[in-house]
Amino acid sequence: MTLHRIFARLMALVRKRQLDAELEGEIAAHLELAERDALASGMSPDQARRAARRLFGGIESMKEEHRDRRSFRWLENVWRDVRYGVAGLGRDPGFTAIVVGVLALGIGANVAMFGLLDAVILKPLPFTDPDRIVRIWEAPRPGVSNATSAPDFLDWRRLSTAFEAMGAESPVSMALTGAGDPVRLDGRAVTSDYFRVFDVGVRMGRTFLPRDEEPGNDSVIVLSNAAWETVFGADPGIVNRRVILDGQSHEVIGVLRPGAFDRSEETRFWKPLVIQQGQYKRGMHWLTVHGRLRPDLTPLQARDEMRRIAEALRDVTPSHKHTWLVEVESVQKLLFGDHLRQSMYLMFGAVVLVLLIACANIANLLLAKGAARRKEMAIRTALGASRSRLGAQLLTETLVLAVLGGAAGWALASLLVSTATPFLAEMVPYTATLDLDYRALAFAGAIVSLVVLLIGGLPAMQISAANIGSSLHQASRGSSGGHHRMRRSIVVAEVALSLVLVCGASLLFRSLLNLRAVETGVRIENVVTMSLNLPLQAYPTPDAAALFFESLRDRVIAVPGVSQASLSTHLPLHWIGNGEAIEVAGQEAPVKVRFKRVDAGYLDAFGIPLLKGRFIAGRDRHGSPGVIAINEVLAARLAEVAGVRDPVGLTVGLYCPVYGDKRATTEQVEIVGVIRNERVAAPGVPHPAVVYVPLSQVPTDGVKLIVRSGLDSGSVVAGVREALRAVDPHLPVGEIATMREVRERTLAGASRPAWLIGIFAGIAALLAAIGLYGVISQTVNQRRREMGIRMALGARSKDVVRYVLRDASELVLIGLVIGSAGAFALTRLAKSLLFGVSPLDPLAFLIACAAMASIGVLAGLLPARRAARLDPSVTLREEG
Amino acid sequence: MSKDKSEIPYGTLDLLILRTLETMGRLHGYALARRIEQVSGESLQLSQGSIYPALIRLQQEGWIDTTWGVSETNRKVKFYSLTESGRKQVAVEIANWEKTTALVARFLGATP
Repeated sequence: MTLHRIFARLMALVRKRQLDAELEGEIAAHLELAERDALASGMSPDQARRAARRLFGGIESMKEEHRDRRSFRWLENVWRDVRYGVAGLGRDPGFTAIVVGVLALGIGANVAMFGLLDAVILKPLPFTDPDRIVRIWEAPRPGVSNATSAPDFLDWRRLSTAFEAMGAESPVSMALTGAGDPVRLDGRAVTSDYFRVFDVGVRMGRTFLPRDEEPGNDSVIVLSNAAWETVFGADPGIVNRRVILDGQSHEVIGVLRPGAFDRSEETRFWKPLVIQQGQYKRGMHWLTVHGRLRPDLTPLQARDEMRRIAEALRDVTPSHKHTWLVEVESVQKLLFGDHLRQSMYLMFGAVVLVLLIACANIANLLLAKGAARRKEMAIRTALGASRSRLGAQLLTETLVLAVLGGAAGWALASLLVSTATPFLAEMVPYTATLDLDYRALAFAGAIVSLVVLLIGGLPAMQISAANIGSSLHQASRGSSGGHHRMRRSIVVAEVALSLVLVCGASLLFRSLLNLRAVETGVRIENVVTMSLNLPLQAYPTPDAAALFFESLRDRVIAVPGVSQASLSTHLPLHWIGNGEAIEVAGQEAPVKVRFKRVDAGYLDAFGIPLLKGRFIAGRDRHGSPGVIAINEVLAARLAEVAGVRDPVGLTVGLYCPVYGDKRATTEQVEIVGVIRNERVAAPGVPHPAVVYVPLSQVPTDGVKLIVRSGLDSGSVVAGVREALRAVDPHLPVGEIATMREVRERTLAGASRPAWLIGIFAGIAALLAAIGLYGVISQTVNQRRREMGIRMALGARSKDVVRYVLRDASELVLIGLVIGSAGAFALTRLAKSLLFGVSPLDPLAFLIACAAMASIGVLAGLLPARRAARLDPSVTLREEG
Repeated sequence: MSKDKSEIPYGTLDLLILRTLETMGRLHGYALARRIEQVSGESLQLSQGSIYPALIRLQQEGWIDTTWGVSETNRKVKFYSLTESGRKQVAVEIANWEKTTALVARFLGATP
């Protein structure tokens, strides 16, 4: 078709009325002329008129052809169908509301999940070229990451060529004083290259330069945008101002641009990292290293280079580290680990299933409606509408429904997304914005098209010529085998799909129960915890710190309602990040241990049983002979590697960090007792070997205050704050959490997918039940006469109920068989999220099947009871 | 209607219209239909109305032009005439037609 003609046809759409009028005029003129000629040839006026008409041919069909030729007829039709469809939907608001509602549920959940997936996994991190940012670490064993020593970091930076920049960081925590209540600020000490790796740019001022790392120049800080706004009231003159941190004056040199680092309170400021004289030890691992790859390199290539460098440094590396490997991995990959990725994909899979079931349900409703409209269609066919025209009209109606559903789904998704934002903040360590953008819109459009594709054709398929023909003869009986079979298959599919989801949910809930039942080894009820950080300026010596801890504990225990108080560097159910090693005389390889400082009250506060010897006591203070307690795992490890049968009384060498310093010294300490394992790792991770070191003997600056009391947490915290103020009025309180919350946080990764998928499974089962109810009701309606005859012949209502229920159970049973097969194939995808449950756990499957079966029976029971109440004398007299 | 009248071969109505306009110049719809019937010697079974859908298509292709005029019965009617590109199109259509008939003739001649 030439462009000329396309344009002309489009114009014809607009000029429809005028063109129609012109054509009418031409026809009239033509007939007039023909009639005149006929009259001239001697016909009577009547004959002449008829002859003219005959020669002209069918006027109406010619007009149709004229319209078809001159414009895009289908466009005209689509518009007419849309108007007709909207009007039709308005006539049946109940049907429209249900379909749009079900679709909104399916589409909304999918769009929201897409938004989440997009924000967490698909969108790049908010840094320049985030795929070039990598983490570099040493792995003692595959899969284990270790911090890096200062000499190793310096050598890596000096020798490697694969990176544009390499920076190291170490967490710091400082008290900001001099402006109202003291505030604890968490931050990071970073090398000057750090901001070349994490390139975020400044809002004002500058970031670090190499000269800031020189001793004496390092009293400068960079603030995050969030800290600048919340802590410093968005003071525009903040740059060059001096603030007091840990009693020392620091100059603010810059504020970062908003975005990347603003989400958490984990990092609110950065200060230069100065490596002290005593920290140049290859056995002392305390730095986290990140690098920015050169644009042409992959993490794997960089890793190979780093391993060559490690090989070259072999001579200066301590012998126990000779088997360690250097790893380089993209930060993006590390942040969104396999677990998060997998649970996201799993949840996405679940919402897709919900969407499929929603579609099946709507297909079902449309088929039922189609059955009701057979007469309308038959009449329109008889009046000359072609089948393809009717099909197009039905398709348009579905399209209108899908678009309405999509719009409602979009609204629902926006609502869901605004609710999900806090969850997202927990999942992602950097600022991630969760909004529905044009990508989500495109996705929603794709879903709507998919829905139309899946269900749009169904109603149109119903108008087969044979069907239509018979419809006019039929009275209200209206049975039709073909489409009824289709509805039954759809219900079977719904039951099957729902079963897959219900199986998944049942497995995840069983796993959740297992997690809750995990022996934590600690009593956590009525325990509140607070974190504290001592400024080195105020507590320069270990004795000062020890004294502070002791007086604080005495004060807190005196608070009314408090029954037990303790101080510890790590809470139970919380991973101990500090790894050290102990040396056993006669053994070359040190035994790796987790290092936890506690005071004498720790065992009682959490009810952990002592197995052998004694626990740390009040008399184990700074300067007294060094002692440690160990856990069962370490006792077993010692027996295994050193043949120590009774570790109590054994003296070992222990790497002890020096107070206020990153250095460590080897101290000779005596093992005085063995305690039961407490859970420090996530469920499923084995207990590590732990040494418990007296806090007063080896004090440190960051501790958790643990308080058990009979009061509610609010009044306890108030009392404890007062006690703290009496000991040190300048010390801010850090994070406050009950032990219940700590435990929830440890389990959250497992419970969230379980609840979400549980909800999706519930929705799916409900939709399937609605579908089943609809089909069984229809069957009952169609078989009213049959039932009437049966009852007239002596069947009791009980028999009728059984008869209808058998029909329903048949559908459910087939659905369950197919669904079980699907679930068998699919639940293994959730394997990594399951704890203590096999993906094919028979009990979980059984529960799921039982649940679906009872839902199915319930859905069948209502129509069955209606059937049982039929009065045969009425039904048999009905038209039919 | 007598049985020896034949239907218009598919797709040739365009050619008949264009050719008629080429020889006759400006015509209105009725005159055009009559002219086609006369030339075909009344052996063609033409529904006169069927020229109008064909005319609108040819007009949209830009091969014919319309002007308003007055019919013999004093009615305002459309007169059709060939455009410059319509004239070229006639040549193309004739060439196509000859090609087709030649091809068919060859087939018919080849059959024993």
